[in-house]
Amino acid sequence: MADVARVPAVWEQIRLVAGLRWRILRNGLRKKNNQWDLIGMIFAGVFAALFVLGLSLAFSFGAYSFLSGGHEAWMAFLFWAIFLYWQLFHIFTAGFGAGFEFRTMLRFPLSLRAFYVIGLAYGLADFAAVASSCWLIAMIIGAARAKPTVLPTMIVISALFLLMNVTLERMIGSWLERILARRRTREIFFAVFILLAVSLQFLNPLLQRYGRAAQPWVRHVLPYLSVFPPSLAGRAIAGAAQGHSTDVLLGAAGISAYALLFSVFLWLRFATQYRGEELSETAAPVRAVLRRTSRTAEQPDALGLLTPQVSAVLRKEFRYLTRNSFAFFLLIMPPVFVLLFTTQFAGRHPTATKHPVSTEFFFPGMMAYLILILMAPAYNSFAYDGKGIQTFFTSPVSFREVFLGKNLLQVAMLTFELTLSMAAFSYLVGLPSLPVLVATLAAIVFNVTGQLAIANWSSLSFPRKLNFGQMRGQRQSGMAVLVSFGTQILLGAISAPVLFISRWTGNAWLPAEVFAFLAAAAIAGYSSSLDPLAVLAEKKKETLIDALSR
Amino acid sequence: MTDAAIVTEKLTRRFGNLTAVDGVDLTVAAGQFFGFLGPNGAGKSTTIKMLTGLLAPSSGRAQLLGLDFARHPVEVKRQIGVVPEGMGLFERLTGAEYLQFVGRMYGLDRPTTQRRSEELLDFMQLSDRPKTLIADYSHGMQKKLALAAAVIHGPRILFLDEPFEGVDALAAGALKALLGRMTERGVTIFLTSHVLEIVERLCSHVAIIHKGRLVAQGSLEELRAGIAGEEGSKTTLEQIFLSIVGQDGAQRPQLEELSWLM
Repeated sequence: MADVARVPAVWEQIRLVAGLRWRILRNGLRKKNNQWDLIGMIFAGVFAALFVLGLSLAFSFGAYSFLSGGHEAWMAFLFWAIFLYWQLFHIFTAGFGAGFEFRTMLRFPLSLRAFYVIGLAYGLADFAAVASSCWLIAMIIGAARAKPTVLPTMIVISALFLLMNVTLERMIGSWLERILARRRTREIFFAVFILLAVSLQFLNPLLQRYGRAAQPWVRHVLPYLSVFPPSLAGRAIAGAAQGHSTDVLLGAAGISAYALLFSVFLWLRFATQYRGEELSETAAPVRAVLRRTSRTAEQPDALGLLTPQVSAVLRKEFRYLTRNSFAFFLLIMPPVFVLLFTTQFAGRHPTATKHPVSTEFFFPGMMAYLILILMAPAYNSFAYDGKGIQTFFTSPVSFREVFLGKNLLQVAMLTFELTLSMAAFSYLVGLPSLPVLVATLAAIVFNVTGQLAIANWSSLSFPRKLNFGQMRGQRQSGMAVLVSFGTQILLGAISAPVLFISRWTGNAWLPAEVFAFLAAAAIAGYSSSLDPLAVLAEKKKETLIDALSR
Repeated sequence: MTDAAIVTEKLTRRFGNLTAVDGVDLTVAAGQFFGFLGPNGAGKSTTIKMLTGLLAPSSGRAQLLGLDFARHPVEVKRQIGVVPEGMGLFERLTGAEYLQFVGRMYGLDRPTTQRRSEELLDFMQLSDRPKTLIADYSHGMQKKLALAAAVIHGPRILFLDEPFEGVDALAAGALKALLGRMTERGVTIFLTSHVLEIVERLCSHVAIIHKGRLVAQGSLEELRAGIAGEEGSKTTLEQIFLSIVGQDGAQRPQLEELSWLM
């Protein structure tokens, strides 16, 4: 018989969970590397407090002015704002990796009821929940100042609204946890997330072009929103202000029904977890398949010109690129950016400027921006190798070959992306004059080759492990980022005046000639950097293995 | 060609104030199945890392197959296979892709790499999941793959850091048979394991490291001869190990303190 005197009360368990989370946070900050995180957290905390306080004033003022100004129906907008923030905030943050695993509590002697209550309490500790609760209180204060008679209704409706929101948030959260437990679905989630983030950039141009045409459609959709909880809450408050008790009752009953419905679903989800739902990274076993003898070895090697080691690294890098959906997804960005920027600054009808920017400037600028994005991963090129870095050191190869393989893939990827972007550019706004085009291409060779040597040094000197399909805690080394920006600024500072030489001298081909010379020098510099880098890799191997094998 | 496959002289590794490996002099003859033992934190993995090029010694030197590691790292690496601590796999490759990668890194031609990869995957019973990424392998499957990668180029010395950890009994049996055949063909195997029964069954020679220092080295018979066992019974490796490493009684846990559990 275990020596358990009594099962702790639910509130005691909630206190223990809160204490545990606090200790995890505090102990995490003890690490030397995380000292900067503490400063970052203090800053973030100050900004978060200002954000919550500022919006509390806005919500309070909004409630006051709507009720005192005779716009009671507009209270629904405030509830909608809180609802959307509360529900969307944690969906966006959920994808950034697993934080504290609430389900680990299941190893302790908890009843399903206690597990459910702790789960709800856990949901109230979320930043969005705390902020939203503050805003609801602010709304109550504002509403009471405008019309003291609505205070009881406001308190009841806000309490129901809060309960409904926290239940819905936990329900969505527990489903997300299940979905994001698998690496593949997590990566798809990130891809959709980034796609959404990029799509938002198109909102302004689209609204400018199609905004008026969409207005009647929006008006048609709005009435359907009245059956959702925020509209019901607004309707109840408006009813209380206007003395329509039916609206108050209908609104309260509606929100309660939603809260009950979500509670049932949440209970079922938690019950499944309580019974021991398996959430695993590992894919389910698949039926064994008969292996077919591969014929690839009999075919001529497409990379036959390279040494076996360089071609092995190149193939491995290509496979890693195609299997890292996050990195692979970034490859669709360059043509998207070309589309975005050309609609805003170039072409016949730019949306951000009155007159289109000349292609002679826009083209080199666009290419420089794309190189800035595409070269960034090269400054921490071992990031995704993880423990595999040991294979490079146990194999009989020089790091010269490892870098050659990695850099060749980087160059091939850049060539493909820039070609695609140039094709898109050519279709959308047309290419610049031949001297500027040639000068830009030579400048690209100079910039990319020049950066590769420094990026290789940065990868050895400031390695930082990154995990596939995870965004939380996925930070590059601060020094690698500084080196990257410093190098890009330096090369940009060299390249920009060279591009303008033709204006000062009247010789249109001079920039192309200067860049051709610089490109040749950069290639020579890159070649001579490989052997010293191989020696440096040997010196830095312990740091590298330690940083990447964690 | 020398008879000694591995020779270390005063091999030392310091991490700040901590001396993890302290002047280790080790000799392993070619073709030996050599067990390298020690308690947690004794310096086993640090030693194996220095012998495989994953860690530079602070002082001292290591010679493998007559070649000084520091002077001829690439030549030495060509001759050895390693299953390092943590296995060092590229987890975003499939098993076949990883073996092909390693084979090519050791300079094997494509047809040879392909053939050996397929044979090894078959032997390790990993060939029925051709599209599964290593990240999705179980721990035991990863271990088998790491071992397959370590032998794909036919090494003359094989370094194995805890090779049987997490491997099921069936696979462990097959691996032991494979390793036994390799030693018969003259391959030297240098193995660390916490499972003393495995070491006792497989290894002909053993060294014990404790607090960074080599405290015993020799054949099992030589070590047994130095320990007074019970009359009429054969001294086990566990008894040898405990008598050498566990001499410091203060380190043994005092069960009396946990009386409430008994």
